Amino acid sequence: MKKRDEPAASGGLTRRELLGSSAALLVGAAAPGAAQALTFQGTPEWKPLANVAVEPVDESAGWQFFTEEEAATVEAIVERLIPADDLSISGKEAGCAIFIDRQLAGAYGGFERLYMHGPFQDGTPEQGDQSPLTPGQRYRIGLAALDDHCRREHDARFAELEADRRDQILSQLEQEQIQLDDIDSQLFFELVLTNTMEGFFADPLYGGNRDMVSWKMLGFPGARYDYRDYIERHNEDLEFTPVSIGGRSDWQAQG
Amino acid sequence: MKTLTGVTLALLPLSALAASTEYQDIERGRYISVLGDCAACHTVDDDRPLAGGVPLETPFGTLIAPNITPDDATGLGRWSLEEFKAAMTEGVGKGGYHLYPAMPYPSYTLMTDKDIHDLWAFLQTVTPVENDIEANQLPFPFSIRGVMRGWNWLNFDERRFEPDPEQPDDINRGAYLVESLGHCGTCHTPRNFMGGDGGDKFAGATIEGWYAPNITPNRHVGIGAWSEEELVEYLKTGGNRFGFASGPMADEVHHSSQYWSDSDLSAVARYLLSGAGLESDDWDREPPEPLGEDDPQVRAGSHIYFDRCSGCHTPSGGGEEGIFPQLASNPLVNGDNTTSLIRVVLAGSRPVATDAKPTAPAMPAFAWNLSDEEVANVLTYVRNSWGNAAPAVAAGDVADIREALEEE
Repeated sequence: MKKRDEPAASGGLTRRELLGSSAALLVGAAAPGAAQALTFQGTPEWKPLANVAVEPVDESAGWQFFTEEEAATVEAIVERLIPADDLSISGKEAGCAIFIDRQLAGAYGGFERLYMHGPFQDGTPEQGDQSPLTPGQRYRIGLAALDDHCRREHDARFAELEADRRDQILSQLEQEQIQLDDIDSQLFFELVLTNTMEGFFADPLYGGNRDMVSWKMLGFPGARYDYRDYIERHNEDLEFTPVSIGGRSDWQAQG
Repeated sequence: MKTLTGVTLALLPLSALAASTEYQDIERGRYISVLGDCAACHTVDDDRPLAGGVPLETPFGTLIAPNITPDDATGLGRWSLEEFKAAMTEGVGKGGYHLYPAMPYPSYTLMTDKDIHDLWAFLQTVTPVENDIEANQLPFPFSIRGVMRGWNWLNFDERRFEPDPEQPDDINRGAYLVESLGHCGTCHTPRNFMGGDGGDKFAGATIEGWYAPNITPNRHVGIGAWSEEELVEYLKTGGNRFGFASGPMADEVHHSSQYWSDSDLSAVARYLLSGAGLESDDWDREPPEPLGEDDPQVRAGSHIYFDRCSGCHTPSGGGEEGIFPQLASNPLVNGDNTTSLIRVVLAGSRPVATDAKPTAPAMPAFAWNLSDEEVANVLTYVRNSWGNAAPAVAAGDVADIREALEEE
């Protein structure tokens, strides 16, 4: 240990000092271009009570984005995308429709963090989704078009159809065997499928994944962040119960 | 000409001597103003030191600390040393009006004449600031200063500090600092219904929504298990392995104790840890038995602690030196008064940043995430684990403090 320090102590330049000073030079050279950089001095501001990470979804608050009819259709979809089986409850029972409703009522529904002005043109596959429609519009148009299709072909709304029939229609949508009015059927199907999975696996605080059902199914321990005491314990059941950002039932005193 | 030179020569050493004594007095006075923490109440704006204006919320109403710069019209410019001394030691202002004991004259009365003289000498050198303050914002009948005559009769003894000949010099120096200039008891000794000294000296009390903890030598709820070095470290740097100064104590460390000399801080630590000045019956008590692991609140709290607290404070409550306070065997956790514990869990806290420890590591708020019951459960668990033992925390107490914090 002693030897390593000797070059520096004798007045020479260590490799670390050299790297450090060249880094400083680079930063200095780049500084005039980085006009938007912020400088903080002293201690960052801090306020009591201020760090509210997320407001939990109120599941009993009624639909925020969907109409009753739309909500029934979405529930009928998510119930078939994730059916109840011996692994878990269904996507409907897990609250996936509530999750999607709250997302659409929020910033996601209008793609508020994306550039959503023209020109709109079909891009290459690598450029991904180039549709001018926001998720809210995609659901509004897609759900209406799906019910129109079902009324034409099956004389009933989608939510009124038997499970087998619904599975068949969803498969046809996925494979573009059905063309919906005013919206690309695959674009619509993939959005619903993606959002359903997000609702099923996201933190229950956002309205889906009721009672952490998917996490229990997978053995995912939830919103934990310190594994220092367990990092060396390989191939062992650590018996972690999943925990949501909002907590878990063991937090309440019982008995 | 010769004579004149002689006179001049003869005068020189005298005036030089006078100037240097005066300078020493002023510098001593400056340090005394730090020991007494005058700035805590009398300085709002660091650019206008001691110009007054800090509102003091008392159970009886609001008082505003006056301007003590030497401004003629709005400060102490027309006061004499004798008048200043009467304010410090008798609680009587120029012209005979009574001060309110938010000004800690019941402690400053112990000051030596020399310290009052030097403090006054220092105050003469402060830049005069015109800042007219109506100190008395109290509602009737407390607004009548005359009521303090009766209060003083019941609650105040005018007296100078008497060293205890049985005790060594450092303990006596510590006693003087703690009882007089430091006025530690103003916050750490419970008040009676009149706001006077309520007995149970240094047993801890609620102040401005915080708990000023027990500073008796009791090892379980006081500071008896702290070493002299740990206590000095707390006062000097704003924190030690058990915690960081927050709330009103953060102000104290910020303005005052971080600037005390090491020998004065050691004297304070020795005095407080010795229990001199206290009756041992008052603090020498057996700790209670901890609640068992099968207590429903303790059990629920253990889950919350594991999920939310153990990442920083570690599963064994050991914390991380210098950043996350150790909760195990921590007297601040064991106190009867849970005001600060509940407050820090709900609102979070950023402690004092000092020259020695500039980081001021903050505790995040959990009010958004934990219900009143959950806060009560996790605190009950912490208060009954790893050597701690204390009564359970009630959800109703958490609800009360949550309401008070939201109003702040």
